[in-house]
Amino acid sequence: MPQLTMTDMYKAYGATVALKSGQIALHPGELHVIMGANGSGKSTLCKILAGSVKPDGGRIELNGKEITISGPKAARDLGVSIFYQELSLSKNRSVAENILARDLPCRAGFVDRKAVLARAEKVFAPFRDVAGDDFDLKTRVGDLRPDQRQLVEIAKTFAGGARIFIFDEPTSALDRAQTEAFFRELDRRKAEGASIVFISHRMEEVFEIGDRVTVIRDGETVSSAPLAETTRDRIVAEMVGGETGASVFADPPAAPVPGPEKLRVQGLTSRRLRDVSFTLHAGEVLGLGGLHGQGQSDLLRALFGLEPLDGTLTLDGAPITLPSPRRAIRQGFGYISGDRQSDGAISGRSIFENVVPIHLFKTRAFFVNHATLSAEVDRVLAILATRHGGRMAPISSLSGGNQQKVIISRWLMDETGVLLLDDPTKGIDLATKLELFALIRSLADKGMAILLYSSEDAELLANSDRILVFNNGAVVQELQGNDRTRTQLTRAAFEAA
Amino acid sequence: MSMATFRPILIAGGLVVALMIAGELVSPGFASPEQILRLSIVAALLGIVAAGQNLVILGGREGIDLSVGGVISLSALVAGNVMNGLDAGLLPAILACVAVGAIFGLLNGLGVTLLRIPPLVMTLGMLGVLQGLLVVARNGIPSGRAAPMLSDFVSQPQWLGLPGILWLWALIGLAMAGLLGRTVFGQRIFAIGANEPAARLAGVPTRLTRTMLYVLSGVFSAIAGLCILGYSGSSFANVGGQYMLSSIIAVVLGGTPLSGGRGGYTGTMIGALLLVVLQGLLTTLSIEESGRQIIFGSALIVLLLFYGRSSGMRV
Repeated sequence: MPQLTMTDMYKAYGATVALKSGQIALHPGELHVIMGANGSGKSTLCKILAGSVKPDGGRIELNGKEITISGPKAARDLGVSIFYQELSLSKNRSVAENILARDLPCRAGFVDRKAVLARAEKVFAPFRDVAGDDFDLKTRVGDLRPDQRQLVEIAKTFAGGARIFIFDEPTSALDRAQTEAFFRELDRRKAEGASIVFISHRMEEVFEIGDRVTVIRDGETVSSAPLAETTRDRIVAEMVGGETGASVFADPPAAPVPGPEKLRVQGLTSRRLRDVSFTLHAGEVLGLGGLHGQGQSDLLRALFGLEPLDGTLTLDGAPITLPSPRRAIRQGFGYISGDRQSDGAISGRSIFENVVPIHLFKTRAFFVNHATLSAEVDRVLAILATRHGGRMAPISSLSGGNQQKVIISRWLMDETGVLLLDDPTKGIDLATKLELFALIRSLADKGMAILLYSSEDAELLANSDRILVFNNGAVVQELQGNDRTRTQLTRAAFEAA
Repeated sequence: MSMATFRPILIAGGLVVALMIAGELVSPGFASPEQILRLSIVAALLGIVAAGQNLVILGGREGIDLSVGGVISLSALVAGNVMNGLDAGLLPAILACVAVGAIFGLLNGLGVTLLRIPPLVMTLGMLGVLQGLLVVARNGIPSGRAAPMLSDFVSQPQWLGLPGILWLWALIGLAMAGLLGRTVFGQRIFAIGANEPAARLAGVPTRLTRTMLYVLSGVFSAIAGLCILGYSGSSFANVGGQYMLSSIIAVVLGGTPLSGGRGGYTGTMIGALLLVVLQGLLTTLSIEESGRQIIFGSALIVLLLFYGRSSGMRV
């Protein structure tokens, strides 16, 4: 018998129906994956279960009895614990206090510091070995690396005796060893009879640990099956719907005839980078691989003038310096971050205002000529088939994927020589990812030189002509031709420089 | 203009009309042409200060200029002494005022951008410096007189029966609308107000833009100081003191949230009118000062609550 069932769940925000008909049945000891494109309603379904969203219709049964979940506190009392995609930690409190934030041990009304440390130690034990040498339970969370913060968030979810755990994209910042430690803990909880709900955009992960998968499309549950009885391509097809399900995990592209040398980097060293050297040719997509946070993003940010660096840079044969983003833009560099909310979208402003700034800067314009620019804006938005409700609509009215398209459009109004892509498809649904990678390839074919970092190995392998593998700020190996395989990439990633 | 920015303007505009009608009913003559003209002049003085305040607030990152009152007082003092009641001294006085405003605005801007001092602290500190300077400069004795031309400009009907200051205010309104809506600089103000890191990555010179906002605020306050001198005839102590809070309130009433990134000056102009009409009405009702302040404060809170509700939830 299922531990918990949700039937015909319905939720609307004004005219927007977020969830039309959500169904799910959670069995004890099972890891249940929910898959769906962004905006399909999977997060809404989870939030209803966690009590942070009130459903407009539907029936929830716990152990056969109908219940209502009135709020987050009520959900916790029912034994539901959720991990939020947007981290819920307080930066200024210690790791231990954060882990136990929902139930701090107290004595006579005051926080019992010793008990806090002791209990946090126990909860965090499964992740102790993979958290890094500099990790300490007394550290302020604000001083942690993103992957360490994510581990703390995970530990916080596990703290307290919940029976149902919900994880929404829990491994985005984790490296392989950290992910494995997390999976082991999931297995242990499963063995104890817990139900786990898991949302992920990483197909490999899903097949690695999932027992059952429910696919949601446009607010409706379209299938629910044991993972052993389905395939990657079938899941993709179900998420995408009517369109034909071409495999996302295509073979690496045939090595193109490299164009002239565009960028040469020699002995680049910065706060996080150690002696990085490579050349990038026009028309080439050069992938940056390896475990998370090994310097890939730092390289891209340094090349955009965001971090001071030492070393020699040569662009089109001439030496250059990159002291600021503005100088980098003038030199023909473009940068797109996966962190749309902080580094991409000029939130609350119109799509138009989000597309034109680079063009205005490059042309040294004083006035904004709406009439002339509008045609250009529509042209670049059309290149990416951006779905929007008019160029004057606020960018925040778009889905994540379409927001990213708007941000990419910025760099298409004028010529961009070197495009720096810093995990550009983070948190974007699979269908849009495919569109974006097709665009990236077509830009390269037109002569753009592209540096691509992706947090998903499959994406990197499928879209890079060569791959530089990073470890601890240095390039440890370059993969070319038939060496661009998962095995080679993984092996190289674990290789110390 | 989107509905989100337009709505507060409608509310504030409707309230101005409603208060005028209420005033006329309670005290006939409240909505007479002469009275409307007088209130408009007072609103123009506040509106000019609020133009600079508006820019600083739009720029976000807790942008606020608490030094406007100090700049106004110093500007009025400098102008009064430079012109000393003579029309011939008007042009040098204007130049001196603008210089005073620009210099203190620049100091504010550099403090906020280069030294990363929070705007609240930086401009409050600057206010203290300015007040100190005023004490030293005056040596306790009021000094300086407005040129007749300046007094006429502020209070006498000139073109089409309206005093020059109302034309100036209208001109500033047009210039601000053009600046915010049609120039790259205007777009950059909104961009740094909405998301500074993203704006920087999109090629916006964030520090230069932000510094300019404080310079402009200083200049607007200085111009207002000059006009206030013309309005009152001579510069008296702390003539600008009341403008610190009221300029901020005019901006917020006009639909620019303190968090910045959205809004505009058209709303601020209506906000300034609303504030002045409300004050005028409370004065007309001859309510005691204490009662007036209580009603005034409560009305503002209720109004802002109303705005908060209207902003809607993003889904």
